[in-house]
Amino acid sequence: MGYIELEVLEDQPKRVVIGIDLGTTNSLPAIWKDGRPEILEVEGEPALIPSVVHVSDDGTAVVGRTARARSMDDPAHTVHSIKRFMGRSLGELDEAVLRRLPYQVTQTERGLVQVEVGGKRFTPQEISALILREVAAQASVAMGGAEVLSAVITVPAYFDDAQRQATRDAARLAGLEVLRIVNEPTAASLAYGLDQKEEGTVAVYDLGGGTFDVSILSIEGGVFEVLSTNGDTSLGGDDLDALLVDLLRSELEGSVEGSVFDDPAFRQAARLSAEKAKVALSRDPEADLVISLPELGVNARRTVTREEFERLAAPLVERSIRCCERALKDAELEPKDVDEVVLVGGSTRVPLVRAEVERFFGRAPHTELNPDQVVALGAAAQAEVLMGGSRDILLMDVTPLSLGLETMGGAAEKLIQRNNRIPCSVKEGFTTYADNQSAIDFHVLQGERELAADCRSLGRFKLTGIPPMPAGLPRVGVKFHLDADGILTVSAKEESTGASASIEVKPSHGLTEDEVSDMLEASFKNARKDFEERRRVDLIAEIGIMLRHATANLTVAEERLDRESVEDLHEAIAAAKEARLCTELELVQAARDTLDRATMPLAAVLMDSVVKEAVSGKKLGDL
Amino acid sequence: MDATCPSCGAGLETPLACGACGVLMLTEDGACPFALLGLEPGFPVDAKDLKTRLRRFTRLVHPDFFALEGEQALAKAERNNALLNEAFAVLSDETRRADRLVARLGGPSEKDLGSMPQAFLMEVMEWNETLEEASPGSAEMLRLSSELTEHRDRISTEIAAALTPLPQPGAASLAGVRQSLNARRYVDRALGRISASAGPA
Repeated sequence: MGYIELEVLEDQPKRVVIGIDLGTTNSLPAIWKDGRPEILEVEGEPALIPSVVHVSDDGTAVVGRTARARSMDDPAHTVHSIKRFMGRSLGELDEAVLRRLPYQVTQTERGLVQVEVGGKRFTPQEISALILREVAAQASVAMGGAEVLSAVITVPAYFDDAQRQATRDAARLAGLEVLRIVNEPTAASLAYGLDQKEEGTVAVYDLGGGTFDVSILSIEGGVFEVLSTNGDTSLGGDDLDALLVDLLRSELEGSVEGSVFDDPAFRQAARLSAEKAKVALSRDPEADLVISLPELGVNARRTVTREEFERLAAPLVERSIRCCERALKDAELEPKDVDEVVLVGGSTRVPLVRAEVERFFGRAPHTELNPDQVVALGAAAQAEVLMGGSRDILLMDVTPLSLGLETMGGAAEKLIQRNNRIPCSVKEGFTTYADNQSAIDFHVLQGERELAADCRSLGRFKLTGIPPMPAGLPRVGVKFHLDADGILTVSAKEESTGASASIEVKPSHGLTEDEVSDMLEASFKNARKDFEERRRVDLIAEIGIMLRHATANLTVAEERLDRESVEDLHEAIAAAKEARLCTELELVQAARDTLDRATMPLAAVLMDSVVKEAVSGKKLGDL
Repeated sequence: MDATCPSCGAGLETPLACGACGVLMLTEDGACPFALLGLEPGFPVDAKDLKTRLRRFTRLVHPDFFALEGEQALAKAERNNALLNEAFAVLSDETRRADRLVARLGGPSEKDLGSMPQAFLMEVMEWNETLEEASPGSAEMLRLSSELTEHRDRISTEIAAALTPLPQPGAASLAGVRQSLNARRYVDRALGRISASAGPA
């Protein structure tokens, strides 16, 4: 381990926390560097990972670009937009969305959603974990090998407890510790450095791939406060694409069999063609929708003008503006009170969207930063806060939805109101209805409706271990705590005897603690592949550190080394740089070992001079 | 506040954490919301000052600043920040603030007072009749709305006057404040029904 000794010359690298925008369509890592957030790059390109997972019939999963490339030929094995499924049950998913999917979506007995690809079933958490693993691996490569163990992950401000919890579980399955879940709009305004503002109100309009969010924030002296949030979890760029897909379908209507429209290959090709046309229409007054699938007898070209597209898109954009109205109303503000408007999401490049946002708020929105990158940049800024780098930024968040309990008649009693500041705690007292009753069940809900059945079920909790007492005598205090990430925890105590009651949690849409452990265990057991992949990523990380040290030290000590060693080292460095992009474990291992050997003479020369310096320093001190 | 930090000895502005050395303190549940925000109990509250305090103290206790300091510190931060947020919510709401002060001074609780005076209940029945019969946005409804708003303002002024300066603990005037608070609840309920009937937000 020739390079280890070299570390005496440098400070130990500090723990790395990266920011991750875990998006519906793409995911992106960023990091804080030299006083500002920076998108991580591999080979000079943003380390953008398409949030796409391809699973072959042998169970091998690939993620990102490779997966997206395969989706065209093999849509039935490719999972897109899994974020829409996070923390939801089958019945809650938009049927139109399900119809467009080229694979099966099922649910477990307990109602957990699973997607079926490659003959295997995956929960959305597991699919997201695969994406996060890839994001972390790419981030590691981008940082020259630093190991990524902790992250700040962003979610739509509108995400409820179950969706946030699912995100956290996905990260755990990916071997990442989530230090903070940050709302995407908040991250976006951090990226714009709006924390530098003396005082102001910011509206963040986020039209992502699958979800729309609007948040009204107040910023004062570096303090961010979410005044209100609103949104639509089934409105996004995908829906704009769907409009164009419908155009293609009506163009083909009559000329092909109706069953063609249900063919996975057709759906996928149509979607990609629509996406391309949408992007082109942001630039040009007209664009062509092209689809050619000879094996299905499909061949069509349809010209769409921007005007036509805008006419179709207008109702969707209008829906987003209605959300803006509601968010302002909740914040008790008028459009003119908003000082800054920030745009997030690729679909905000659509001219109609920009025009409507500008018309509604009466001011031009910010467009300086890439709308696809602002969220990741903001997450990196927050990561810096968590690493103890700065207390200048303070995010004071609110809960987007009220939290309540189901009462006897099936009504929902609210314990924590929507837009309440988080973290927050509420304590409720419970008692028994029968003598010697030892357990109480309750049902936790999230939502604004009056009836429990109309709210979203977060989970059922069973309070056990109540000491035997006559009915009505026990006083069980149950504490509901919504943490800074908006995730609920429940704890209980029997107050008259001090006996601690225990809470059994059955999340309605999420994984139980046991399920997460099982999945973690399974992922360790199953996968020699996983292990090898992990080993490869670790090696690449190690090579990165070695390279950093070797290059730095070589410039300092090159003239003190013999020529042969210098040549060996240059060669080994070049080989190691290449090996970082290699997918074969053995080759990566070999490159590391060669580099290790090649750095030994350099290490010896440097150790020598360190010792000399140390010794001479001592002599100096002795004098 | 005359308390000092057990860790560094600096004076404390809030019992939640020390502004000088940053150490988090253990505060019991149900601590006085005024104390948590570093204020003397009193009815008048400067909304701007309250917010400044909330922000200043949140900087001391927010979990984000304890992310790498272990589970225990993080749990303490979560808890103290929740207490701070709750105290702020109580103090920034006129009704909850008055309610706390009446309780603190040993005044009657909402239930202690029993039913409202007959004349008042008659008035409430009239409001309800209008609410049942008049259509949203009609002149009648608007008249009721402005009448109720006026009524509410009048009650608020009464409450503020009765609590400024704070009466002695156990003072007879506290029962009057409680009655006003109860009356305002009826008014608020009626106003809520009007805005609900005006259509969903």
